[in-house]
Amino acid sequence: MWRTENRDIERPQVMTAMEMGTSSAASKIDFAGVSKTFFARGNELQALQPVDLKVRKEEFVALVGPSGCGKSTLLNLVAGLIEPTTGTVTYDGEPVAALNFRVGYMTQKDTLLPWRTVNDNIGVSLELKCRSTSRAEAKERIAEMVDLVGLRGFEGHYPTELSGGMRKRVALARTLIYRPETLLMDEPFGALDAQLKLIMQDQLQKITQHQKMTVLFVTHDLSEAIAVADRVVVFSSRPGRIRAIRDVPLERPRDVFRVRFADSFSRLHEDLWNELKDEVIKGTDV
Amino acid sequence: MAPRPMSMTVSAAGGQQGGFAALLTTLPGLIVSRVLIIAAFLGFWQFASGRLISKFWVSSPTEIFGLLLSWIADGSLWPHLEATLTAMGVGYVIGCAGGVGIGLLFGFLPMLRRVVMPYVSGLYALPKIALAPLLVILLGVDIGSKVALVAVTTVFLLFYSTLDGIRDVDKDLVQTLRLMGATRSEVIRKVLVPATLPWIFTGMRVAVRYSFTAAVVGELIAANRGVGYLIEANAGLYNSTGVFAGVFVIVVLSVAMTEVLTRAEGQRAPAN
Repeated sequence: MWRTENRDIERPQVMTAMEMGTSSAASKIDFAGVSKTFFARGNELQALQPVDLKVRKEEFVALVGPSGCGKSTLLNLVAGLIEPTTGTVTYDGEPVAALNFRVGYMTQKDTLLPWRTVNDNIGVSLELKCRSTSRAEAKERIAEMVDLVGLRGFEGHYPTELSGGMRKRVALARTLIYRPETLLMDEPFGALDAQLKLIMQDQLQKITQHQKMTVLFVTHDLSEAIAVADRVVVFSSRPGRIRAIRDVPLERPRDVFRVRFADSFSRLHEDLWNELKDEVIKGTDV
Repeated sequence: MAPRPMSMTVSAAGGQQGGFAALLTTLPGLIVSRVLIIAAFLGFWQFASGRLISKFWVSSPTEIFGLLLSWIADGSLWPHLEATLTAMGVGYVIGCAGGVGIGLLFGFLPMLRRVVMPYVSGLYALPKIALAPLLVILLGVDIGSKVALVAVTTVFLLFYSTLDGIRDVDKDLVQTLRLMGATRSEVIRKVLVPATLPWIFTGMRVAVRYSFTAAVVGELIAANRGVGYLIEANAGLYNSTGVFAGVFVIVVLSVAMTEVLTRAEGQRAPAN
Protein backbone atom coordinates (compact mmCIF):
# COMPACT_ATOMS: atom_id res chain seq x y z
CA MET A 1 0.00 0.00 0.00
CA TRP A 2 3.05 2.25 0.24
CA ARG A 3 4.67 1.70 -3.08
CA THR A 4 2.44 3.92 -5.17
CA GLU A 5 3.80 7.31 -4.29
CA ASN A 6 1.34 9.92 -3.33
CA ARG A 7 0.87 12.14 -6.32
CA ASP A 8 0.75 15.84 -6.16
CA ILE A 9 -2.64 16.79 -4.89
CA GLU A 10 -2.46 20.40 -5.98
CA ARG A 11 -2.37 19.39 -9.60
CA PRO A 12 -5.93 18.16 -10.00
CA GLN A 13 -7.32 21.50 -8.88
CA VAL A 14 -5.22 23.39 -11.41
CA MET A 15 -6.23 20.88 -14.04
CA THR A 16 -9.93 21.27 -13.49
CA ALA A 17 -9.66 25.02 -13.71
CA MET A 18 -8.02 24.63 -17.11
CA GLU A 19 -10.30 21.92 -18.30
CA MET A 20 -13.39 23.94 -17.54
CA GLY A 21 -12.90 26.23 -20.51
CA THR A 22 -11.55 23.79 -23.01
CA SER A 23 -13.46 20.56 -22.73
CA SER A 24 -16.61 21.14 -20.74
CA ALA A 25 -18.56 19.66 -23.63
CA ALA A 26 -16.50 16.47 -23.48
CA SER A 27 -17.45 13.69 -21.11
CA LYS A 28 -16.33 13.72 -17.50
CA ILE A 29 -15.76 9.98 -17.34
CA ASP A 30 -15.21 7.87 -20.41
CA PHE A 31 -15.06 4.07 -20.38
CA ALA A 32 -13.67 2.90 -23.73
CA GLY A 33 -13.65 -0.86 -24.25
CA VAL A 34 -13.05 -1.35 -20.55
CA SER A 35 -13.02 -4.95 -19.32
CA LYS A 36 -11.76 -6.49 -16.13
CA THR A 37 -10.64 -10.03 -15.40
CA PHE A 38 -9.60 -11.04 -11.91
CA PHE A 39 -7.11 -13.79 -11.21
CA ALA A 40 -7.59 -15.61 -7.97
CA ARG A 41 -5.98 -18.90 -6.97
CA GLY A 42 -5.19 -19.80 -10.53
CA ASN A 43 -8.76 -19.13 -11.67
CA GLU A 44 -9.73 -16.45 -14.09
CA LEU A 45 -12.90 -14.61 -13.33
CA GLN A 46 -14.17 -12.15 -15.87
CA ALA A 47 -16.06 -9.51 -13.96
CA LEU A 48 -16.70 -7.16 -16.81
CA GLN A 49 -17.00 -7.62 -20.56
CA PRO A 50 -15.80 -4.68 -22.64
CA VAL A 51 -17.92 -1.69 -21.67
CA ASP A 52 -18.29 1.64 -23.45
CA LEU A 53 -19.92 4.41 -21.50
CA LYS A 54 -19.57 8.16 -21.42
CA VAL A 55 -20.68 10.11 -18.39
CA ARG A 56 -21.25 13.81 -18.99
CA LYS A 57 -20.19 16.50 -16.59
CA GLU A 58 -22.74 17.01 -13.82
CA GLU A 59 -24.67 13.97 -14.94
CA PHE A 60 -26.26 11.59 -12.45
CA VAL A 61 -25.92 8.04 -13.78
CA ALA A 62 -27.39 5.04 -11.97
CA LEU A 63 -25.97 1.57 -12.59
CA VAL A 64 -28.35 -1.32 -11.94
CA GLY A 65 -27.88 -5.02 -12.43
CA PRO A 66 -27.76 -8.35 -10.64
CA SER A 67 -25.22 -8.98 -7.89
CA GLY A 68 -21.69 -9.58 -9.06
CA CYS A 69 -22.16 -7.99 -12.48
CA GLY A 70 -19.17 -5.70 -12.13
CA LYS A 71 -20.87 -2.45 -11.15
CA SER A 72 -18.54 -1.93 -8.20
CA THR A 73 -15.62 -2.78 -10.45
CA LEU A 74 -16.53 0.21 -12.61
CA LEU A 75 -16.42 2.50 -9.58
CA ASN A 76 -13.09 1.07 -8.47
CA LEU A 77 -11.73 1.77 -11.95
CA VAL A 78 -12.79 5.41 -11.82
CA ALA A 79 -11.27 5.79 -8.37
CA GLY A 80 -8.02 4.36 -9.69
CA LEU A 81 -8.00 1.53 -7.18
CA ILE A 82 -7.64 -1.08 -9.91
CA GLU A 83 -6.54 -1.04 -13.54
CA PRO A 84 -8.64 -2.27 -16.44
CA THR A 85 -7.55 -5.49 -18.16
CA THR A 86 -8.35 -3.95 -21.52
CA GLY A 87 -9.44 -0.50 -22.63
CA THR A 88 -9.00 2.82 -20.88
CA VAL A 89 -10.87 4.81 -18.30
CA THR A 90 -10.55 8.50 -18.96
CA TYR A 91 -11.35 11.15 -16.40
CA ASP A 92 -11.44 14.78 -17.51
CA GLY A 93 -9.67 13.77 -20.70
CA GLU A 94 -6.81 12.03 -18.87
CA PRO A 95 -6.43 8.27 -18.40
CA VAL A 96 -6.84 7.25 -14.77
CA ALA A 97 -3.39 5.95 -13.86
CA ALA A 98 -3.21 6.37 -10.08
CA LEU A 99 -5.55 7.14 -7.22
CA ASN A 100 -8.08 9.66 -8.42
CA PHE A 101 -8.31 12.34 -5.76
CA ARG A 102 -11.07 14.20 -7.54
CA VAL A 103 -13.68 11.62 -6.67
CA GLY A 104 -15.41 10.98 -3.40
CA TYR A 105 -16.01 7.26 -3.03
CA MET A 106 -18.63 5.83 -0.73
CA THR A 107 -17.92 2.12 -0.77
CA GLN A 108 -20.37 -0.64 0.01
CA LYS A 109 -18.46 -1.54 3.13
CA ASP A 110 -18.53 1.30 5.60
CA THR A 111 -14.98 2.30 6.36
CA LEU A 112 -15.49 4.53 9.37
CA LEU A 113 -12.58 4.97 11.74
CA PRO A 114 -13.67 3.01 14.84
CA TRP A 115 -11.74 5.21 17.27
CA ARG A 116 -13.38 8.42 16.11
CA THR A 117 -16.79 9.76 17.05
CA VAL A 118 -19.46 10.53 14.47
CA ASN A 119 -18.38 14.17 14.36
CA ASP A 120 -14.70 13.36 14.00
CA ASN A 121 -15.39 10.74 11.35
CA ILE A 122 -17.42 13.18 9.28
CA GLY A 123 -14.78 15.87 9.59
CA VAL A 124 -11.69 13.76 8.94
CA SER A 125 -11.17 15.00 5.38
CA LEU A 126 -11.17 18.62 6.54
CA GLU A 127 -8.15 17.91 8.74
CA LEU A 128 -6.06 16.97 5.72
CA LYS A 129 -3.50 19.39 4.42
CA CYS A 130 -4.87 19.33 0.88
CA ARG A 131 -8.31 20.44 2.07
CA SER A 132 -7.15 22.76 4.80
CA THR A 133 -10.12 24.26 6.56
CA SER A 134 -10.21 26.52 9.58
CA ARG A 135 -11.44 24.86 12.72
CA ALA A 136 -14.47 27.13 12.94
CA GLU A 137 -15.50 26.40 9.37
CA ALA A 138 -14.96 22.69 9.83
CA LYS A 139 -17.16 22.73 12.90
CA GLU A 140 -19.89 24.54 11.03
CA ARG A 141 -19.77 22.20 8.06
CA ILE A 142 -19.78 19.13 10.29
CA ALA A 143 -22.87 20.40 12.11
CA GLU A 144 -24.52 21.06 8.74
CA MET A 145 -23.77 17.49 7.60
CA VAL A 146 -24.95 15.95 10.88
CA ASP A 147 -28.27 17.72 10.37
CA LEU A 148 -28.44 16.71 6.75
CA VAL A 149 -28.12 12.98 7.49
CA GLY A 150 -30.32 13.25 10.56
CA LEU A 151 -27.79 12.22 13.17
CA ARG A 152 -28.21 15.08 15.61
CA GLY A 153 -27.81 13.74 19.14
CA PHE A 154 -25.34 11.10 17.98
CA GLU A 155 -22.36 13.39 17.35
CA GLY A 156 -20.35 11.90 20.20
CA HIS A 157 -21.13 8.25 19.48
CA TYR A 158 -18.58 5.77 18.21
CA PRO A 159 -19.33 3.72 15.08
CA THR A 160 -19.77 0.52 17.12
CA GLU A 161 -22.61 2.23 18.98
CA LEU A 162 -24.54 2.94 15.78
CA SER A 163 -26.85 0.81 13.67
CA GLY A 164 -25.84 -0.22 10.17
CA GLY A 165 -28.06 2.43 8.62
CA MET A 166 -26.61 5.15 10.82
CA ARG A 167 -23.10 4.15 9.90
CA LYS A 168 -24.05 4.45 6.24
CA ARG A 169 -25.31 7.94 6.87
CA VAL A 170 -22.07 8.89 8.60
CA ALA A 171 -20.16 7.56 5.61
CA LEU A 172 -22.37 9.60 3.29
CA ALA A 173 -21.84 12.77 5.31
CA ARG A 174 -18.11 12.13 5.39
CA THR A 175 -18.03 11.84 1.60
CA LEU A 176 -20.24 14.87 0.91
CA ILE A 177 -18.51 17.20 3.35
CA TYR A 178 -15.44 17.81 1.23
CA ARG A 179 -17.53 18.44 -1.87
CA PRO A 180 -15.77 16.20 -4.36
CA GLU A 181 -16.59 17.06 -7.97
CA THR A 182 -17.53 13.46 -8.66
CA LEU A 183 -19.34 11.07 -6.35
CA LEU A 184 -18.99 7.32 -6.64
CA MET A 185 -21.63 5.57 -4.57
CA ASP A 186 -21.94 1.84 -4.12
CA GLU A 187 -25.39 0.96 -2.79
CA PRO A 188 -25.29 3.81 -0.31
CA PHE A 189 -28.86 3.42 0.89
CA GLY A 190 -29.16 -0.38 0.85
CA ALA A 191 -29.15 -0.67 4.63
CA LEU A 192 -31.72 2.04 5.28
CA ASP A 193 -35.41 1.57 5.97
CA ALA A 194 -37.88 2.58 3.27
CA GLN A 195 -38.83 6.01 4.65
CA LEU A 196 -35.31 7.08 5.46
CA LYS A 197 -34.22 5.88 2.06
CA LEU A 198 -36.63 8.32 0.40
CA ILE A 199 -35.42 11.18 2.56
CA MET A 200 -31.79 10.41 1.80
CA GLN A 201 -32.50 10.11 -1.93
CA ASP A 202 -34.14 13.50 -1.82
CA GLN A 203 -31.22 15.08 0.03
CA LEU A 204 -28.70 13.48 -2.27
CA GLN A 205 -30.27 14.70 -5.48
CA LYS A 206 -30.67 18.20 -4.07
CA ILE A 207 -27.04 18.39 -2.96
CA THR A 208 -25.62 16.97 -6.15
CA GLN A 209 -27.73 19.38 -8.21
CA HIS A 210 -26.78 22.32 -6.07
CA GLN A 211 -23.07 21.54 -6.05
CA LYS A 212 -23.04 20.45 -9.70
CA MET A 213 -21.56 17.05 -8.95
CA THR A 214 -21.13 14.21 -11.38
CA VAL A 215 -22.49 11.02 -9.85
CA LEU A 216 -22.06 7.31 -10.54
CA PHE A 217 -24.60 5.55 -8.38
CA VAL A 218 -24.77 1.76 -8.01
CA THR A 219 -28.02 0.32 -6.73
CA HIS A 220 -30.18 -2.79 -6.80
CA ASP A 221 -33.32 -0.74 -6.52
CA LEU A 222 -34.85 0.20 -9.88
CA SER A 223 -37.21 2.84 -8.51
CA GLU A 224 -34.39 4.42 -6.56
CA ALA A 225 -32.34 4.55 -9.76
CA ILE A 226 -35.15 6.23 -11.70
CA ALA A 227 -36.01 8.63 -8.91
CA VAL A 228 -32.53 10.10 -8.56
CA ALA A 229 -30.75 9.62 -11.90
CA ASP A 230 -30.62 11.35 -15.26
CA ARG A 231 -29.71 8.11 -16.95
CA VAL A 232 -30.08 4.49 -15.91
CA VAL A 233 -27.68 1.83 -17.16
CA VAL A 234 -28.78 -1.80 -16.89
CA PHE A 235 -26.05 -4.41 -16.68
CA SER A 236 -26.26 -8.07 -17.60
CA SER A 237 -25.30 -10.77 -15.13
CA ARG A 238 -21.64 -11.74 -14.83
CA PRO A 239 -19.54 -11.15 -16.78
CA GLY A 240 -21.24 -7.78 -16.88
CA ARG A 241 -21.91 -5.80 -20.02
CA ILE A 242 -24.31 -2.97 -20.71
CA ARG A 243 -27.70 -4.34 -21.62
CA ALA A 244 -29.70 -1.14 -21.84
CA ILE A 245 -29.33 2.59 -21.29
CA ARG A 246 -32.36 4.82 -20.75
CA ASP A 247 -32.69 8.53 -20.16
CA VAL A 248 -34.99 9.40 -17.30
CA PRO A 249 -37.65 11.72 -18.71
CA LEU A 250 -38.33 13.50 -15.42
CA GLU A 251 -37.78 17.22 -14.94
CA ARG A 252 -35.47 18.66 -12.30
CA PRO A 253 -35.88 19.75 -9.60
CA ARG A 254 -37.71 16.60 -8.69
CA ASP A 255 -39.82 15.55 -5.80
CA VAL A 256 -38.62 12.02 -5.17
CA PHE A 257 -41.67 11.35 -3.02
CA ARG A 258 -44.20 12.18 -5.76
CA VAL A 259 -42.23 11.32 -8.84
CA ARG A 260 -43.11 7.65 -8.42
CA PHE A 261 -46.70 8.32 -9.31
CA ALA A 262 -45.92 9.89 -12.70
CA ASP A 263 -46.85 7.87 -15.77
CA SER A 264 -43.44 8.28 -17.29
CA PHE A 265 -41.95 6.83 -14.11
CA SER A 266 -43.99 3.64 -14.24
CA ARG A 267 -43.47 3.24 -17.99
CA LEU A 268 -39.71 3.51 -17.56
CA HIS A 269 -39.82 1.21 -14.55
CA GLU A 270 -41.61 -1.46 -16.55
CA ASP A 271 -39.31 -1.03 -19.50
CA LEU A 272 -36.20 -1.35 -17.32
CA TRP A 273 -37.65 -4.22 -15.35
CA ASN A 274 -38.17 -6.16 -18.57
CA GLU A 275 -34.49 -5.68 -19.34
CA LEU A 276 -33.42 -6.56 -15.86
CA LYS A 277 -35.57 -9.51 -14.90
CA ASP A 278 -33.98 -12.07 -17.25
CA GLU A 279 -30.58 -11.07 -15.93
CA VAL A 280 -31.67 -11.33 -12.35
CA ILE A 281 -33.05 -14.81 -12.99
CA LYS A 282 -29.85 -15.80 -14.76
CA GLY A 283 -27.84 -14.28 -11.95
CA THR A 284 -29.58 -16.28 -9.26
CA ASP A 285 -29.00 -19.55 -11.10
CA VAL A 286 -25.26 -19.24 -10.66
CA MET B 1 -14.36 -12.30 40.11
CA ALA B 2 -14.58 -16.08 40.06
CA PRO B 3 -16.82 -16.62 43.09
CA ARG B 4 -19.62 -14.49 41.70
CA PRO B 5 -21.15 -16.97 39.20
CA MET B 6 -20.65 -19.72 41.74
CA SER B 7 -22.53 -17.87 44.43
CA MET B 8 -25.33 -17.22 41.96
CA THR B 9 -25.75 -20.88 41.11
CA VAL B 10 -25.70 -21.75 44.77
CA SER B 11 -28.45 -19.29 45.60
CA ALA B 12 -30.39 -20.36 42.51
CA ALA B 13 -30.28 -23.94 43.76
CA GLY B 14 -32.50 -22.84 46.60
CA GLY B 15 -31.98 -21.98 50.23
CA GLN B 16 -32.71 -25.43 51.53
CA GLN B 17 -29.05 -26.43 51.40
CA GLY B 18 -28.12 -24.04 54.19
CA GLY B 19 -24.89 -24.59 56.15
CA PHE B 20 -21.59 -24.26 54.39
CA ALA B 21 -22.90 -23.58 50.87
CA ALA B 22 -25.05 -20.74 52.17
CA LEU B 23 -22.05 -19.30 54.00
CA LEU B 24 -20.17 -19.03 50.72
CA THR B 25 -22.85 -16.83 49.13
CA THR B 26 -22.16 -13.89 51.43
CA LEU B 27 -19.07 -11.73 51.17
CA PRO B 28 -18.07 -12.04 54.87
CA GLY B 29 -18.59 -15.78 54.61
CA LEU B 30 -16.34 -15.90 51.60
CA ILE B 31 -13.61 -13.94 53.35
CA VAL B 32 -13.87 -16.08 56.45
CA SER B 33 -13.54 -19.29 54.45
CA ARG B 34 -10.54 -17.95 52.57
CA VAL B 35 -8.86 -16.89 55.81
CA LEU B 36 -9.59 -20.33 57.24
CA ILE B 37 -7.77 -22.01 54.37
CA ILE B 38 -4.63 -19.92 54.75
CA ALA B 39 -4.77 -20.25 58.55
CA ALA B 40 -4.99 -24.02 58.26
CA PHE B 41 -2.07 -24.06 55.86
CA LEU B 42 0.13 -21.86 58.06
CA GLY B 43 -0.93 -23.74 61.17
CA PHE B 44 0.06 -27.06 59.66
CA TRP B 45 3.35 -25.62 58.47
CA GLN B 46 4.09 -24.23 61.90
CA PHE B 47 3.19 -27.57 63.50
CA ALA B 48 5.17 -29.70 61.06
CA SER B 49 8.33 -27.63 61.15
CA GLY B 50 10.74 -29.17 63.67
CA ARG B 51 8.34 -32.05 64.35
CA LEU B 52 7.66 -33.79 61.03
CA ILE B 53 10.46 -32.22 59.04
CA SER B 54 13.62 -30.39 59.99
CA LYS B 55 13.46 -26.60 60.33
CA PHE B 56 16.57 -26.48 58.21
CA TRP B 57 14.50 -27.26 55.09
CA VAL B 58 11.22 -25.52 55.60
CA SER B 59 11.86 -22.91 58.31
CA SER B 60 8.59 -21.88 59.95
CA PRO B 61 5.95 -19.18 59.38
CA THR B 62 6.74 -17.36 62.64
CA GLU B 63 10.44 -17.21 61.87
CA ILE B 64 9.81 -16.05 58.31
CA PHE B 65 7.48 -13.26 59.37
CA GLY B 66 9.83 -12.36 62.19
CA LEU B 67 12.67 -11.98 59.73
CA LEU B 68 10.46 -9.93 57.37
CA LEU B 69 9.51 -7.62 60.23
CA SER B 70 13.13 -7.17 61.22
CA TRP B 71 14.04 -6.36 57.60
CA ILE B 72 11.35 -3.75 57.58
CA ALA B 73 12.24 -2.45 61.05
CA ASP B 74 15.96 -2.00 60.32
CA GLY B 75 15.24 -0.78 56.80
CA SER B 76 17.46 -3.37 55.14
CA LEU B 77 14.65 -4.49 52.80
CA TRP B 78 14.17 -1.14 51.05
CA PRO B 79 17.43 -0.94 49.07
CA HIS B 80 16.68 -4.38 47.63
CA LEU B 81 13.10 -3.50 46.79
CA GLU B 82 14.26 -0.26 45.25
CA ALA B 83 16.90 -2.01 43.15
CA THR B 84 14.43 -4.55 41.75
CA LEU B 85 11.71 -2.02 40.99
CA THR B 86 14.19 0.43 39.46
CA ALA B 87 15.69 -2.24 37.21
CA MET B 88 12.22 -3.32 36.21
CA GLY B 89 10.84 0.19 35.67
CA VAL B 90 13.77 1.63 33.74
CA GLY B 91 14.19 -1.50 31.64
CA TYR B 92 10.47 -1.58 30.94
CA VAL B 93 10.34 2.02 29.74
CA ILE B 94 13.40 1.58 27.53
CA GLY B 95 12.09 -1.71 26.17
CA CYS B 96 8.61 -0.36 25.43
CA ALA B 97 9.92 2.76 23.71
CA GLY B 98 12.42 0.76 21.68
CA GLY B 99 9.93 -1.97 20.78
CA VAL B 100 7.25 0.45 19.63
CA GLY B 101 9.79 2.52 17.72
CA ILE B 102 11.33 -0.41 15.88
CA GLY B 103 7.89 -1.95 15.34
CA LEU B 104 6.60 1.22 13.69
CA LEU B 105 9.76 1.49 11.60
CA PHE B 106 9.40 -2.09 10.34
CA GLY B 107 5.67 -1.58 9.81
CA PHE B 108 6.15 1.49 7.66
CA LEU B 109 9.13 0.16 5.73
CA PRO B 110 8.15 -3.24 4.32
CA MET B 111 11.47 -3.52 2.50
CA LEU B 112 13.40 -3.24 5.75
CA ARG B 113 11.09 -5.81 7.29
CA ARG B 114 11.62 -8.27 4.47
CA VAL B 115 15.41 -8.04 4.69
CA VAL B 116 15.99 -7.92 8.45
CA MET B 117 13.08 -9.97 9.80
CA PRO B 118 14.85 -13.38 9.89
CA TYR B 119 17.46 -11.98 12.26
CA VAL B 120 14.85 -10.46 14.52
CA SER B 121 12.93 -13.75 14.64
CA GLY B 122 16.15 -15.56 15.47
CA LEU B 123 16.89 -13.23 18.36
CA TYR B 124 13.30 -13.51 19.53
CA ALA B 125 13.53 -17.29 19.66
CA LEU B 126 16.60 -17.03 21.89
CA PRO B 127 15.67 -17.31 25.58
CA LYS B 128 16.67 -13.86 26.79
CA ILE B 129 17.83 -15.26 30.13
CA ALA B 130 20.73 -16.84 28.26
CA LEU B 131 22.01 -13.31 27.65
CA ALA B 132 22.17 -12.52 31.37
CA PRO B 133 25.77 -13.71 31.93
CA LEU B 134 26.91 -11.78 28.87
CA LEU B 135 25.17 -8.65 30.11
CA VAL B 136 26.88 -9.04 33.47
CA ILE B 137 30.27 -9.19 31.71
CA LEU B 138 29.45 -6.16 29.60
CA LEU B 139 27.66 -3.99 32.15
CA GLY B 140 28.88 -5.29 35.47
CA VAL B 141 27.15 -6.87 38.39
CA ASP B 142 25.34 -3.64 39.22
CA ILE B 143 21.82 -2.61 38.22
CA GLY B 144 22.81 -1.84 34.62
CA SER B 145 22.86 -5.47 33.55
CA LYS B 146 19.37 -6.01 35.06
CA VAL B 147 17.98 -2.97 33.26
CA ALA B 148 19.40 -4.33 30.03
CA LEU B 149 17.93 -7.78 30.57
CA VAL B 150 14.48 -6.33 31.26
CA ALA B 151 14.75 -4.04 28.23
CA VAL B 152 15.80 -6.89 25.93
CA THR B 153 12.88 -9.00 27.14
CA THR B 154 10.36 -6.17 26.78
CA VAL B 155 11.58 -4.86 23.45
CA PHE B 156 10.61 -8.02 21.58
CA LEU B 157 7.13 -8.20 23.08
CA LEU B 158 6.39 -4.62 22.10
CA PHE B 159 8.04 -4.99 18.73
CA TYR B 160 5.82 -7.90 17.77
CA SER B 161 2.59 -6.44 19.10
CA THR B 162 3.25 -3.13 17.33
CA LEU B 163 4.11 -4.84 14.07
CA ASP B 164 1.08 -7.14 14.27
CA GLY B 165 -1.06 -4.09 14.98
CA ILE B 166 0.16 -2.28 11.89
CA ARG B 167 -0.27 -5.32 9.68
CA ASP B 168 -3.76 -5.86 11.02
CA VAL B 169 -4.93 -2.37 10.02
CA ASP B 170 -7.92 -2.50 7.71
CA LYS B 171 -6.51 -1.69 4.25
CA ASP B 172 -9.84 -0.14 3.30
CA LEU B 173 -9.45 2.52 5.99
CA VAL B 174 -6.08 3.42 4.53
CA GLN B 175 -7.55 3.49 1.04
CA THR B 176 -10.44 5.70 2.12
CA LEU B 177 -8.09 8.30 3.57
CA ARG B 178 -5.80 8.13 0.56
CA LEU B 179 -8.75 8.77 -1.77
CA MET B 180 -9.59 11.85 0.29
CA GLY B 181 -6.10 13.04 -0.57
CA ALA B 182 -4.24 12.18 2.63
CA THR B 183 -0.48 12.19 2.36
CA ARG B 184 1.55 9.28 3.60
CA SER B 185 2.31 10.96 6.92
CA GLU B 186 -1.36 11.83 7.37
CA VAL B 187 -2.33 8.21 6.79
CA ILE B 188 0.22 7.20 9.44
CA ARG B 189 -1.04 9.74 11.96
CA LYS B 190 -4.75 9.35 11.36
CA VAL B 191 -5.08 5.65 10.62
CA LEU B 192 -2.04 3.50 11.32
CA VAL B 193 -1.07 4.89 14.72
CA PRO B 194 -4.57 5.01 16.26
CA ALA B 195 -5.38 1.56 14.86
CA THR B 196 -2.18 0.17 16.37
CA LEU B 197 -2.59 1.73 19.82
CA PRO B 198 -4.80 -1.05 21.29
CA TRP B 199 -2.17 -3.59 20.21
CA ILE B 200 0.58 -1.53 21.83
CA PHE B 201 -1.39 -1.27 25.08
CA THR B 202 -1.94 -5.02 25.10
CA GLY B 203 1.78 -5.55 24.60
CA MET B 204 2.56 -3.14 27.41
CA ARG B 205 0.27 -4.96 29.83
CA VAL B 206 1.78 -8.34 29.03
CA ALA B 207 5.28 -6.90 29.27
CA VAL B 208 4.83 -5.74 32.89
CA ARG B 209 4.82 -9.33 34.12
CA TYR B 210 7.68 -10.36 31.88
CA SER B 211 9.83 -7.45 32.95
CA PHE B 212 9.30 -8.26 36.63
CA THR B 213 10.36 -11.84 36.02
CA ALA B 214 13.37 -10.70 34.01
CA ALA B 215 14.50 -8.33 36.77
CA VAL B 216 14.26 -10.99 39.48
CA VAL B 217 15.90 -13.70 37.38
CA GLY B 218 18.70 -11.32 36.44
CA GLU B 219 19.32 -10.70 40.14
CA LEU B 220 19.28 -14.40 40.88
CA ILE B 221 22.03 -14.96 38.36
CA ALA B 222 24.43 -12.22 39.45
CA ALA B 223 23.76 -9.11 41.48
CA ASN B 224 24.75 -7.17 44.55
CA ARG B 225 21.30 -5.82 45.37
CA GLY B 226 17.64 -6.60 44.74
CA VAL B 227 15.02 -9.03 45.93
CA GLY B 228 16.37 -11.72 43.64
CA TYR B 229 19.81 -11.17 45.14
CA LEU B 230 18.29 -11.42 48.61
CA ILE B 231 16.94 -14.87 47.81
CA GLU B 232 20.12 -16.00 46.11
CA ALA B 233 22.36 -14.75 48.95
CA ASN B 234 20.27 -16.51 51.61
CA ALA B 235 20.18 -19.69 49.54
CA GLY B 236 23.97 -19.53 49.38
CA LEU B 237 24.02 -19.51 53.17
CA TYR B 238 21.47 -22.36 53.34
CA ASN B 239 19.21 -19.97 55.21
CA SER B 240 15.75 -21.22 54.23
CA THR B 241 14.05 -18.57 56.38
CA GLY B 242 15.67 -15.82 54.33
CA VAL B 243 14.74 -17.56 51.04
CA PHE B 244 11.09 -17.88 52.07
CA ALA B 245 11.00 -14.26 53.23
CA GLY B 246 12.41 -13.13 49.87
CA VAL B 247 9.88 -15.26 47.98
CA PHE B 248 7.11 -13.76 50.09
CA VAL B 249 8.20 -10.24 49.09
CA ILE B 250 7.98 -11.29 45.44
CA VAL B 251 4.52 -12.80 45.96
CA VAL B 252 3.30 -9.54 47.47
CA LEU B 253 4.79 -7.52 44.60
CA SER B 254 3.25 -9.71 41.90
CA VAL B 255 -0.17 -9.73 43.55
CA ALA B 256 -0.03 -5.93 43.77
CA MET B 257 1.04 -5.68 40.13
CA THR B 258 -1.67 -8.04 38.93
CA GLU B 259 -4.25 -6.07 40.88
CA VAL B 260 -3.13 -2.76 39.38
CA LEU B 261 -3.12 -4.23 35.87
CA THR B 262 -6.57 -5.76 36.26
CA ARG B 263 -7.96 -2.41 37.35
CA ALA B 264 -6.23 -0.63 34.48
CA GLU B 265 -7.68 -3.15 32.01
CA GLY B 266 -11.14 -2.68 33.46
CA GLN B 267 -10.94 1.06 32.90
CA ARG B 268 -9.90 0.85 29.29
CA ALA B 269 -11.67 3.37 27.05
CA PRO B 270 -14.51 1.92 24.94
CA ALA B 271 -13.00 3.43 21.80
CA ASN B 272 -12.51 0.13 20.06
